Amino acid sequence: MRIPVRFELNGHAVEVEVAPDRTLLDLLRDTMGETGTKEGCREGECGACTVVVDGRAVNSCLFPAPEIDGTRVLTIEGLSCDHGRLSRVQQAFLDASGTQCGFCTPGMVMTAVAFLAENPAPMDTEIREALTGNLCRCTGYVQIVEAIQLAARRSRDPQA
Amino acid sequence: MRYSYHRPASLDEASDMAAALPNARFIQGGTDLMVRIGQGRERPGHLISLRRIGELTTIDANREIRIGAGATLSDTLAHPDIRRRLPALAQSLAALGSRQVRNMGTIGGNLCNASPAADTAPPLLVYDARVEIRNGRAIRCLPLAEFLLGPGKTALQAGEILVAIVVPDPPEGTGSAFIRRGRVTMDLAIASVAASVRLNGGASIAIRVAAGAVAPTPRRLTAAEAVATPTDDWSRAAIAAREQIEPITDLRASAEYRRHLTGILVRRALTMAAAASGQWSIDR
Ligand SMILES: Cc1cc2nc3c(=O)[nH]c(=O)nc-3n(C[C@H](O)[C@H](O)[C@H](O)COP(=O)(O)OP(=O)(O)OC[C@H]3O[C@@H](n4cnc5c(N)ncnc54)[C@H](O)[C@@H]3O)c2cc1C
Ligand code: FES
Ligand code: FES
Repeated sequence: MRIPVRFELNGHAVEVEVAPDRTLLDLLRDTMGETGTKEGCREGECGACTVVVDGRAVNSCLFPAPEIDGTRVLTIEGLSCDHGRLSRVQQAFLDASGTQCGFCTPGMVMTAVAFLAENPAPMDTEIREALTGNLCRCTGYVQIVEAIQLAARRSRDPQA
Repeated sequence: MRYSYHRPASLDEASDMAAALPNARFIQGGTDLMVRIGQGRERPGHLISLRRIGELTTIDANREIRIGAGATLSDTLAHPDIRRRLPALAQSLAALGSRQVRNMGTIGGNLCNASPAADTAPPLLVYDARVEIRNGRAIRCLPLAEFLLGPGKTALQAGEILVAIVVPDPPEGTGSAFIRRGRVTMDLAIASVAASVRLNGGASIAIRVAAGAVAPTPRRLTAAEAVATPTDDWSRAAIAAREQIEPITDLRASAEYRRHLTGILVRRALTMAAAASGQWSIDR
């Protein structure tokens, strides 16, 4: 039994059939071929699989694929659609060295995108709290917090 | 294919499916169930999703506070009446998991999963919450303390749906607080304590204490409540609390450490709750 779902992926209408026992992560990576979203733990711990569904960051590894019907999904592939130009948050991660091996980066960026929409002028402690569900083995987090601060500053002042 | 997936639009439909489908489980946020299925610890034949049932997600704060079992942890935390009238519950929600987990997970799922460490349980016990359960077309109510029976075990019978958590409005002048300690921010609690205090000019009128992760279920610490007096710095309550728990040693902490920690958390939670009541100051 396959289940038909219709949803919006990065601004485009999508209609596919999903197996009932697959997750949103499987749907994105295996069915849609969009491998920017990463799989780390499959247990909700690492945040590498974070995507934004209806404005909220979720762990796509725990999100049943059939539940995606009727939602709007934003993934890392949806950020830089403007002729290959990086989005503000992506550019800030690059400029502040918020990425090293890069495996955690798509999840970090998606968490940051949803968080900054809610809190455009955060304190460092609020950023750290927002990143509780995203693990990074490389950076030590300091540059990631700086990158998110930089993105926040640039949204107020594009010259920052 | 390991399981099939169903999305009923009403409670009646969900109840009928649960009665008809063998080896079926309800799912809300999936933050407990999907992990356990992934680890092979649970092998359901059917998942019945309750996410499309609108009435499960409403929070009604007109008189008593009625929280739909399917309300997400994020929505419950963001609700202004819950922050103002049930601050210990809000504090437990803020400490639970990550943003992603709170955006998916639900308050009903937290209780039905029945972890001894379920973070929303100690505050809800302190607030004397009761649960509303749908059995076919009938509704029954239970005090939360009678709902939580053991690790992973609740009073739900096969096919029963937790519909709502109902919390009486705390009386004027009540202060409450929740604290927990874990190894890192995003890990289950080693121990957690919620307390509420209502004082009248420094003398107590009503004191309630509950703890999580230190017994087979989150539980009220009635012995601590009985001896708690604000005039002795709450240390009698802390000593009584240590005797009323049954901590175990596991990968997170030893039983001895949990017992020690519980005493400290009880004293701090009572101090914070008394301060929040506005009737008492910390540095008397
Ligand atoms: C990374 C991570 C960190 C976490 N951290 C914490 C933490 O710090 N503290 C904490 O307490 N928990 C934590 N959890 C556990 C979990 O997120 C919570 O318990 C959450 O509230 C579960 O809600 P849910 O809707 O996702 O439940 P689900 O997984 O959908 O369901 C849980 C159980 O309840 C049953 N169920 C659900 N709804 C109903 C209903 N209406 N009627 C009858 N049965 C029902 C299901 O069949 C299942 O057995 C964490 C989980 C993860 C993945
Ligand atoms: S892969 Fe989803 S949280 Fe780790
Ligand atoms: S950059 Fe390597 S895990 Fe974060």
